[in-house]
Parts: sequence; C-alpha cells; structure tokens
Amino acid sequence: MKVDIQSLGTFNQLAHEGAQQATASMAQMTGIDAVVDVTKITLVDRADVGDELADQDFVGVQFDFEGELSGRTALVMDRSCSETLTDALLPGDSTQDMAESGVKEIGNIMMSGFIDGWADYLETTIDHSPPTYIEGVGQDIIPPSRGDEGTDQLFVFKSQIEYIEESVEFYIYMLPDYDSLTDLMTTHADTEDDAIPIDKLQVFNRMSQQGTRKAAENVSMMTGIDTEAEVSQISFARIEDVPKQLENSRYVGTVVEFTGVPSGFLLVLFDETSAKNVAEAMMPVEMDGDGLTDQHTAAIEELGNIMTSGFVDGWANVLRTSVDHTPPRLVHDMGQAILDPLAAQVGQHQEHAFIVDSRMRTDDVEFEAEIHALPNEQELREALDALMVERAEETDANPDEIFQ
Amino acid sequence: MWKFANLRVRQMPEVLIADDSEFMRNLLREILEEDHQIVDEVENGVEAVEAYKDKEPDLVMMDIVMPIRDGIEATDEIKSSDPSANVIMCTSVGQEEKMKEAVKAGADGYITKPFQKPSVMEAIEDVVPS
Repeated sequence: MKVDIQSLGTFNQLAHEGAQQATASMAQMTGIDAVVDVTKITLVDRADVGDELADQDFVGVQFDFEGELSGRTALVMDRSCSETLTDALLPGDSTQDMAESGVKEIGNIMMSGFIDGWADYLETTIDHSPPTYIEGVGQDIIPPSRGDEGTDQLFVFKSQIEYIEESVEFYIYMLPDYDSLTDLMTTHADTEDDAIPIDKLQVFNRMSQQGTRKAAENVSMMTGIDTEAEVSQISFARIEDVPKQLENSRYVGTVVEFTGVPSGFLLVLFDETSAKNVAEAMMPVEMDGDGLTDQHTAAIEELGNIMTSGFVDGWANVLRTSVDHTPPRLVHDMGQAILDPLAAQVGQHQEHAFIVDSRMRTDDVEFEAEIHALPNEQELREALDALMVERAEETDANPDEIFQ
Repeated sequence: MWKFANLRVRQMPEVLIADDSEFMRNLLREILEEDHQIVDEVENGVEAVEAYKDKEPDLVMMDIVMPIRDGIEATDEIKSSDPSANVIMCTSVGQEEKMKEAVKAGADGYITKPFQKPSVMEAIEDVVPS
C-alpha cells in the first residue's frame, strides 16, 4: 500500500484548515484571539502518542467519528487554559460541573468545525459521537486509538494552537483508524510517481529509532552518563512550519549537511544546561570559566559529530550506500533561528518536508538532547523505493570483517 | 662515565594524528603519548599528506570526515606515494560502504568513535606490532 506526497500534503492542509476553523469558532465564542501555530502528520509508535505533553493536568473532550474516514479525535488543553476559557464564556465563579460542561461545549463546536472540513473535501458525511469529557496527566489524557492492533505505528494529526496575549495553548489530536486513513490516501493518490510505500516508511521510522538508540549509546560511552533514547518519529509538515518544531529557546549543538540519497540536514541540539553538563562529563579535568567555554563547545562539536554518525550509519548500511556529511558546524542560537535557513534551503525544491525528530534524556544529570533530520523529500522517496525491508535490521557494520 | 653501549634503547613508534576535532586530538594524544611519540597533529587531509611526507611517521591515525580533503582521499594519496605507510582510520563513521572505500584507499585498520584505550591499542598492535 502506498501514500503519495500530494495526499499527505492535502491531508495536512485539511487538518490545518480544520484547526483554523476550530480556532475561529473558539475566538467567536470567547472573544480571545488565537492562532494555529503548527499542524503536522506524524508516524509514531502507539505508546508515544502525546509524548510531547508535559507532566501537568490536562482536560479536554474526545469524539469518535465514522464515515469514509473513521477514528478518534481529542481536543486537550491544560487545566488553567480551560479555566481561562470557561471564565470567558461564563464570567464569575462557576461550579466544576459547569466548567466541564463548558469545556465539552467548546470542544463540541471546535471539533465539529475540524471534522466538517474533511467531510466537505471528501464530498461525504462524517458523523461523530457526542463529546466525552476527559482529564489526565501528560500523555495519559490522550485516548487510545481504536482497533488496529496489527499495527504498532499510527498516523497522528496534531495541531498546536496558541492564544494571542494569553499564555494558554491547546492541541487537537486526530487518530484515524489506520486502515481507514491508508485506504483514503490510496484512493486519493494523484500519481504513482511520488508515492511512498507505507511499510517502508514504517521501516524507515524503525531505522531512525535504532539510530537514536545508537546515538544514545555513544553519549553514554563518551560521558559515562546513562542515556536513553526516548522517542523517535517521522512528521510531515509544511515547510513554513518546520522551524516551529523547535522550542523558541536557546540551543547549542551541531548542524551537518549530508549528501547522497537522501541528502539533507541533521541537527544535534542541547539546551544550554545540558550542553554544559554533557561537555563537562566528557572531560577528564574540571573546565575553567563560567558558562560555555571553548572547551565546552569543542566537546559538543565532537559529540555532535559522533551522534550524527551513530544516527545516519544505520540508514547507510540498510540502504547499502554511503551517506557522507560535512564536518559539524557549531550552532548556538534560538531554536527557530537555527532551523529557519535550513528550512529555506530545503524549501527551494519542495512545499512540505519530512522531519525526523528524536529525543534522549537521562535521570541522573539534567540532560536532554534532540536530533532532527530534514531530508530532501524526493531523495527520501528514492531511498525508500530502494529500501529492502528484509535488510531493515542490518544497521550495523563490523570493520573487523571488512579489514580481515 | 656511564656506558650505554650494551643498553638497548627501544624507540617509541612515531604517530601522526589527523582529526579536525581539537577535542579528539587531545583525547588521542592522552591515550597514545605514554607509548608513542606524537610527531604532529593536523586538522585536514591536505595537512595530513604534507605532514606525512615531512615527518614519515610509523603510523597515521586518520579521521574520515574532515574539511578541505577527507581522510579517505588523504589515505589514498599517502599510500600511493608510500605503500609501506601504516594508516588506521579513526572515525565516527560506521558505514559498511565507507569501510570498503577505506580498504580500497589502502587503510590498514579501522576503529570507530567513541572508543576506549584498549580498542585503540589493539588496533595499533594489529597494524604496528610492538
């Protein structure tokens, strides 16, 4: 079964417009202006859906929907956000029941707007169930997807919406039934030329997860800090949304441009505290000076280099090719400022981009690292075409065998 | 007067380190300097070829991904001019195709970063037995 890039782009656009419609309804009801910050389709492990939600109290509503497209969708917001919204709807003290009812009604109106756009595009009707109020901590708020036990990876549409002048944001998650979505993508595929086999995309996702584990092992070996690969996923987003993949805070790390099939960019990024901690763990002696010194950045540069190789070597070995990359370039800037020029360069040839996002962390030391890959879309397609699924596990190469 | 005539002095193998990372050059120097003489440290493939011709070391520890000229090209040039040169690729790249390219260029050994002292010493012992 294949999906074509055109369909992915169209569906991503539909989800984005749906979220905009939902946001407009919200603004009309509450008088609070809001914008859809980013919408993306992500191929993610079932267990990792909603992993980006921080460990705080969330409330929301969920619906099931049926029709040519079926599945489950949820609108979630942190509890303080819901209080802001219900207060805008019902100024003054409101009871818990009234607050829940308010959230349900807001959710009902917003999500209807979200679903209707899909129905119009598909020229069909999509029915949805009455809203169910949900609450939970972090990713536990996200309802399980329905059925599809045969697949451990899901396509998830996620929109992030931010209120202007209010420090609140909420998320729309759409978890289509796997078969329903893939059937739809196949039906709406415009050309065979730009189609990607779904099973190969899933294998590529697995390879990236393996690459993240390898990079985490390299960190552990170089620093002595026991590091775990946390999550790795492939997203598909509009080029203009690519820089928004990063928090708007300062990062330190490396960027390399890789060549071959696929070509693109790979970033290894740390927040400043993590960068300092991990660099100091790499050095046998205590470093001089406060903040990030030249010694710190030299260590980060080399760590970025080694993590990059750990990440892309598996691709090269499975694809039986070599992926060359430039020496690492040190970056130290706001996240979006780092990604902006790379997205612009990739965007010269494509309107959407696949983005591979991986995170790793440790409990011992304050340390988090992110790896982001931005491959050329057409070359990624060519690489996936050439990918032999049966070689998917062969990510490692043994120099001793080659140098006998 | 002391007489050294019968004292056999063992020369330490001379090593050239080629790596664009200052951090990695420092790390390799720390690992090697107890038993080896570091004759030079360079940052790219062009400098590596020049330093090899100038110093004629017993061994080159050669990174692959370096600016200006990469380590495989530099190895090819060194081995073309001196087939008896000993070159160990010392790199973060763990790709099978790249290892084959290194073999083709004439590399004698290949170790992947991150490494620890025993694996470095073992690779050197394989190429330049003590």
